[in-house]
Amino acid sequence: MSSATTTTLPRARGGVLGLIASTDHKNVAIRIFLTGFFFFVAGGILALLIRTELYSPGQQLVNQDHYNEIFSMHGSTMIYLFVVPISLALGIYFVPLQVGAAEIALPRLALLGWWLLIGGGITMWLGWFTQNGPGDAGWTAYDPLSDATNTPGDGMYLWIIGVMLAATSAALLSACILATVMRRRAPGMTLLRMPVFTWSMLMTSVLMIVAAPALLVAMALLFWERVYGGVFNTSGGPIAYQNLFWFFGHPVVYVMFFPFVGAVGEVIATFSRKRFFGYRAHVAALLLFTALSTSVWAHHMFATGQITVKYFSLTSTALIIPAGIEYLDLVGTMWGGRIRLGVPMAFAIGFILQFLVGGLSGIFSGSPPLDYHVTDTYFIVGHFHYTLFAGSLFGFFAAFYYWWPKVTGTFLRTGIGWVHFALLFVGANLTFFPMFFLGYDGMPRRVGDYAPQFTDLNRVSTIGAFIIALGILAWLVNIVVSLVRREPAPADPWDGHTLEWATSSPPPRHNFDRPLPPIRSYAPLFDARYGEGVGYPPPEAKRSEGAEA
Amino acid sequence: MLVALVDTRGEFEDLASTYLPIAIVVFALVLLGTLVPLFLFRARKPGLPSQKEEPPWLPIVYGAGLAAIVAVLITLTFNAQDKISAKVAHPGLQVNVTAAKWNWRFDYPAQHISQIGGDTTPTSLVVPTGTNIRFNLTSLDVIHSFWIPYVRFKRDAFPRRTTSFVLSFPGVGYHTAGRCAEYCGLKHDQMIFTVEVMSRSGFNAWVAQRQKGQA
Repeated sequence: MSSATTTTLPRARGGVLGLIASTDHKNVAIRIFLTGFFFFVAGGILALLIRTELYSPGQQLVNQDHYNEIFSMHGSTMIYLFVVPISLALGIYFVPLQVGAAEIALPRLALLGWWLLIGGGITMWLGWFTQNGPGDAGWTAYDPLSDATNTPGDGMYLWIIGVMLAATSAALLSACILATVMRRRAPGMTLLRMPVFTWSMLMTSVLMIVAAPALLVAMALLFWERVYGGVFNTSGGPIAYQNLFWFFGHPVVYVMFFPFVGAVGEVIATFSRKRFFGYRAHVAALLLFTALSTSVWAHHMFATGQITVKYFSLTSTALIIPAGIEYLDLVGTMWGGRIRLGVPMAFAIGFILQFLVGGLSGIFSGSPPLDYHVTDTYFIVGHFHYTLFAGSLFGFFAAFYYWWPKVTGTFLRTGIGWVHFALLFVGANLTFFPMFFLGYDGMPRRVGDYAPQFTDLNRVSTIGAFIIALGILAWLVNIVVSLVRREPAPADPWDGHTLEWATSSPPPRHNFDRPLPPIRSYAPLFDARYGEGVGYPPPEAKRSEGAEA
Repeated sequence: MLVALVDTRGEFEDLASTYLPIAIVVFALVLLGTLVPLFLFRARKPGLPSQKEEPPWLPIVYGAGLAAIVAVLITLTFNAQDKISAKVAHPGLQVNVTAAKWNWRFDYPAQHISQIGGDTTPTSLVVPTGTNIRFNLTSLDVIHSFWIPYVRFKRDAFPRRTTSFVLSFPGVGYHTAGRCAEYCGLKHDQMIFTVEVMSRSGFNAWVAQRQKGQA
């Protein structure tokens, strides 16, 4: 890990072989990101088709059959092939750097994870070329709708296999992150000196490893049901499928949330020039979140009338406690700081506010008497798009603008970045806020046609979707401009707090081109820059220093 | 009237009128919490701000406050849930609901009436106002969901399984809509029914007329 040995280490492979076989975690992460990005564009085009169809009542653009394929593939693509992979890609890239490791643990497994993701994505999307089209039973594929009688054709088989490959990919990538945190931390990097992002990724990995097997089991049983029957074809079969599916499905919601709240925490601390506020409470909140999130799954099933609603309502509502603590820490970090309002900070604040709308509407639907009305309606569509799009994706963009200089050694353009932010902010709220009213007023989800009374709000939503598309175009323009007309970025352009900034941009094959600073807190670079007297060291570090002396 | 009516709409509105203001206040607090620092604590001066750690009691006190909010919300929710799912010993009417791709059938076993829709006319659910009505719900094929937005309630219909619930309809003499809310394939969006709420005497007249028609 010290600089003296770097010359003897193998260099990164370039060319075609490097593309298909490089096990450098940074390179793997970039390839996962590019794969996820490809599917983001594909799923985004499907979203625009959905919104265009919903611009007016009746069916204009596509018929009902195609509409069902489009929304099913939109959801499946965005969840299995975009948000989960890019969440994990952030961890694959930055966790080894943040814990001061020269290499990820299990690098070949990470590479396999990328290949399985590609295999899963291609398999799922090959469904478009089958006679009956791709799997069109929604991203949840509830039995019996997804069985061979009700959704015949090869597209559904390809969908199941695609989901299994993607789930395996996610589990393997999580295993790499978990092993890296457990085995590859630099000397001095105790668990309670890990950056908040690394903590987030640790709990993300744990959840993914807990959840993915349930999905694999559900998919394997569904496959069996379609081929041989006799699995779910009992009175309790359909509800058993839902229990299995949501035992995966709810934890995965946090897989799509933790990495971004962690990244936003890093951005806010850096851009406020302050240590992260309430670090220990934040870690405790993460642990509580993780524990609770494996016990809330059936709040997706209140309306089935076949679960213990009070238990799941209690656990779901109790999520207020860890979520509230995380929010206090994010906001508390800003108070009394010296805030630089850059583009990453704008996206971070967008994340905080918009995710909150998603979270508050989630508390609403965590109450069965309220959920009975709003579940399976556009209210829920609005709710999870506020968490996933207006929340997680804004968190992702905060991370993207924050870490881009590290990954590429160049700066993104600030001006275009603000245009990107403004378009996305306006677009997301125009698109998703009307959905709460639509759902409350009686518009169900997953319909290509609707009663004329819902026309106006749907039009607002559709216009918003195209503003989002413009925002994404601005993002792409920014990427291209920055790569073509490079503005070189230094090792530590933002005065970062964590170890990924203690090496060149981009980092060399084995990550650190200089000796690591001493690690005595969760902000080692901050300590190195300003000295240990500044609000430092925390009591825990003082004790361990004393013990060593 | 001695029997308490199961008022899903009323429970929804009562509960929402507590949840919504709390949500708005929380959002306003966080909005202030994030936007005020952008004005108060912008990086105008060089140097570092105070790096004081939070006092150790803060997360504990704050966490206890959050737990108190959870306790309030969950108590209200449980109370409403108990009223909605109360066991009604003697409902005024029983209706068996059968969902199938992509239509509805409503059977009134005591009255020997079956309501079946046609290809173009949706099935009509006719109910008396102010009466606890027990619905027994099942499906013949995939999962559907019986949703009447006006009473703020839906329940999924499963094949090979029957679930029961009780609803009552406030007000007299109006039509409202019901529909399938669980995605069920090709014509999910057309799987609707109508609800006709009648006065008690009107309902009795309707029953008599239907029985005469069927005989």
